[in-house]
Amino acid sequence: MTSLSVLHVLDLSEGVAGAYCTKLLAGFGANVTMIERPAGDPLRRHGPFPDDLPHGEKSALFLYLNTGKKGITLDIGQRSGALIFRRLVEEAEVVVEGFAPGYLTELGLGYESLARIKPRLVMTSVTPFGQDGPYAGYKATNLTAFAAGGQMAVTGEPDREPLKNGGYQAEYQAGLHAFTATAVTAFSADATEVGQHIDIAAMECLATMLEPYVSSWAYEKHDIGRRLGNIESEAAPIAVVRAVQDLLEVPQLRARGFFQEIDHPAAGRLTYPGPPFRLEAMPWQTARAPLLGEHNEEVYCGELGISHEELAVLRASGVI
Amino acid sequence: MERLPLYSYRIIDLTTAWAGAYTTRLLADMGAEVIKVEAVNDGDLMRSAMFNHVSRNKYACALDLAQARGRELFLRLVALSDVVVEDYRPKVVEELGLSYDILRSARPDIIVVSLSSNGPGEDSADDGPAGVDYGEPVAGLAAAGAVALALWHRRRTGEGQHVDVARREAIAGLIGEYVVGYSMNRRLPRPAGNRHSSMAPHGCYPCAGDDRWVTIAVEDDEQFAALCRVMGRPELASDPRFADVVSRYRSQDELDSLVQGWTRQLTPQAVTVALQAAGVAAAPVLGAPALFDDPHLRARGFWESVSHPEAGTWDIDGVPWRLSRSPAHVRLPAPRFGEHNDYVLRGLLRLSEEEVRELAAAGVIGDRPGPGVRQQG
Repeated sequence: MTSLSVLHVLDLSEGVAGAYCTKLLAGFGANVTMIERPAGDPLRRHGPFPDDLPHGEKSALFLYLNTGKKGITLDIGQRSGALIFRRLVEEAEVVVEGFAPGYLTELGLGYESLARIKPRLVMTSVTPFGQDGPYAGYKATNLTAFAAGGQMAVTGEPDREPLKNGGYQAEYQAGLHAFTATAVTAFSADATEVGQHIDIAAMECLATMLEPYVSSWAYEKHDIGRRLGNIESEAAPIAVVRAVQDLLEVPQLRARGFFQEIDHPAAGRLTYPGPPFRLEAMPWQTARAPLLGEHNEEVYCGELGISHEELAVLRASGVI
Repeated sequence: MERLPLYSYRIIDLTTAWAGAYTTRLLADMGAEVIKVEAVNDGDLMRSAMFNHVSRNKYACALDLAQARGRELFLRLVALSDVVVEDYRPKVVEELGLSYDILRSARPDIIVVSLSSNGPGEDSADDGPAGVDYGEPVAGLAAAGAVALALWHRRRTGEGQHVDVARREAIAGLIGEYVVGYSMNRRLPRPAGNRHSSMAPHGCYPCAGDDRWVTIAVEDDEQFAALCRVMGRPELASDPRFADVVSRYRSQDELDSLVQGWTRQLTPQAVTVALQAAGVAAAPVLGAPALFDDPHLRARGFWESVSHPEAGTWDIDGVPWRLSRSPAHVRLPAPRFGEHNDYVLRGLLRLSEEEVRELAAAGVIGDRPGPGVRQQG
């Protein structure tokens, strides 16, 4: 428990960016509920897995990104699901989502209609290209977002194709922006009682972090962007193999107690990195990621007052 | 229109390197009054294009913190502020007498953010690669979020706190699944280049022109069929070498050369437009100049014009997220050396004109750049 536990966050994002944003909020004490489609968040399908055997409850990516959250299932694409979501919003201060722009509005769950339920709601939309503009409808993955945001042009060896960084760096960076933007805006909405819609485009986040390149071009029309080899690459030296090895071997991080052991009923006891920064008065919470639908009963029956009979109907019709 | 989220909060910026300067940039972008306290003699290490970029929306005041009177003025300023952000080495903090405990004696609920490579307690020999380091803006961005949480805590409890931001820990957050994965299998990840664990083709392909590239990522059978149609090779979709995800995963080398053969004839933009129209993720590899010209970023107003009295008028990126009710913008160009001395010393600290003159003569405050300061002209 920290002073942030009064902040209720609903995470609809089902992607690395939104999940990282709400992982950090949960880690510092916010009350985060992640909402998965009934079949489960697609991140559950991505490894690493123990012995490389895929298992929905054992994805290192999912386990890492969802520490400290409650997990419920809900199909907001069905009208019954959308109505339940609106009830959840009544008790929430923050919604984080990453759907294609316009999708939630089609379901009657866009920012404008949610803000009518809850005027102080902060809604954070984190997408590859943002809510408007010529590319808003473009499909993207971590790879193409990394290219469009300008970081790929300066990553890799000069005599071969540009490289992406290891893992999901474009999405993580967008997620970190989403966290900071959400924290700042929720802090302000807490006092003004007026929320806002935050529009985060991964492309813009990545370009923002290229400050030395951008400023050099802006003021001097000097393009310093070159690929200098992945290890020495100036902008983005996340060579994952080296970085992981480095992390595990740096004695100071161990001495600082950076790594934590977290137990999980399916995946067992594993080592997780700790917080990205330390707040003396808001200690990092280390609860495990939820099992699929683990908190359905607690949230639907306990918080929304749905009866067990109704819960059975909702489950049978695929709403939850 | 609402006031900016951090309107009415005052932040003292003691930073000397990118990470911390990036933290206070983002806080200033969000409406905080950021006062950069500069050394009287050598100024900021980065007074340059980079300085002008990262210092927009900030004020500057030049104070000699090594002199007793400079330090006293600084502590009086802390008493009027909400947050101090610093990136000194621990030894320097002690020498200057500006530890968290001392700052807290000036203002009991002060929030102090300390940025370092590996955390306090030790000067690190390993500060990462020379030049620009990706860890810097990552740590800087995380620290800005930390400030918002610490302000939240202060509002609820009346307490300030110390915030410890170690670059290496901030960056570790972005590869956490590999740390968890290592503890599962005791194995480091294999270098994958641009390839993906399930998508194929998934890569960066050469285009017409010099050093022009496009990225393409194909998620499923339907998208692969669309790619084949756009390439003018619809028969490849049913070719046994590529007919399903597993075959494509196994035939990535062959696939990549087929895709390259097509992309080489086109510009990255032409490939992107054609594939996006068919529902396939593709994007050009854009460098800084191309980002400035990009129609999407232009249409969204990502680039904003800023006029600096000495550096001229330029387009720079605005605020990296958009707020519907209080859109934030570049409000001020980077400050010139000591530009806001008067505001700080006379306006906030209520010194007389005579006192200010006397302090300047004694070198406690700086009113012109020292030999180490290069104004961007």
